[in-house]
Amino acid sequence: MDNAERLFNEIVKEYSERVYWHVRRFVNNHEDADDLVQEIFLKIWTALPSFRGEAQLFTWVYRIATNETLNWLRREKVRSALRFTSIDAEMERRIDSDPFFDGDAADRALSKAVAKLPEKQRQVFILRYYDEMPYEQMSEVLDTSVGALKASYHIAQEKVRSALGKDIFVGTD
Amino acid sequence: MSKRNDITTPEGYFENLQQRLSEIPARPVRVSPVHRLAPYAAIAASFLVAVLLGNSILRHTAPAPAEDDTWTYVSYLADALDPDGAAMMDIYGYEEEEEPQGLSADDIVNYLLADGITVEHLNYLSYEEGY
Repeated sequence: MDNAERLFNEIVKEYSERVYWHVRRFVNNHEDADDLVQEIFLKIWTALPSFRGEAQLFTWVYRIATNETLNWLRREKVRSALRFTSIDAEMERRIDSDPFFDGDAADRALSKAVAKLPEKQRQVFILRYYDEMPYEQMSEVLDTSVGALKASYHIAQEKVRSALGKDIFVGTD
Repeated sequence: MSKRNDITTPEGYFENLQQRLSEIPARPVRVSPVHRLAPYAAIAASFLVAVLLGNSILRHTAPAPAEDDTWTYVSYLADALDPDGAAMMDIYGYEEEEEPQGLSADDIVNYLLADGITVEHLNYLSYEEGY
């Protein structure tokens, strides 16, 4: 086993589960999340020779995962359009039909509200609320200033609160 | 409302996932036809851009022919592209007749008339020589 393979196996061991949960929040379906995680790690393996260590390994892995997930979502948007349905309706359908969704009605409503957020706000909300990533790390992953991320998160929170009703807690910041 | 417990995975999923992902380096690298053709498409596109750019530059820098001088411009282009004139027949729709080599009888008559010989004298000479 060479160095690249050893490093790749360490990445798999360290990050596969985190990447899965991150992706799952975007795609709202276990099977698609599973397929996408494999695509992401294939990408990581092929891009590994170009990893120079300037960025932290964690940042680099998350950046690839986020980019691949966004590409998947854009493809899904086109697929939905070809089926004469909207991506929002498709995401709602996925949340409702996911056999591995184990939350209550409020969790379901929250997932649907998050799925309706614009792309950038959804990224920020998922990284901050679900993945509990510090703003400094998010800044490196999304290549955006901390101030802009805080503003995006605030707007996303407001949208989610308004979709759910003001009494439901969706975190602070 | 919990943050993570609302979604689950099949039993033993992550052990299985790690096993599958760790097999990725052993997989043969598959290159899709699109990726295989991409470099050639890029070369063709570059060539097309170069041709269009060159054409555009020439159009703007070369002196334009006068509006009513189209045939001069066509002749100029034909000369430049085909110095031997092989394509001229196609452009003008006919083939140029070759100039006859040497002198004709008309040439000689015209010369003699211009030199002061009268028509009567010519007729007389023709009669004498049996023309």
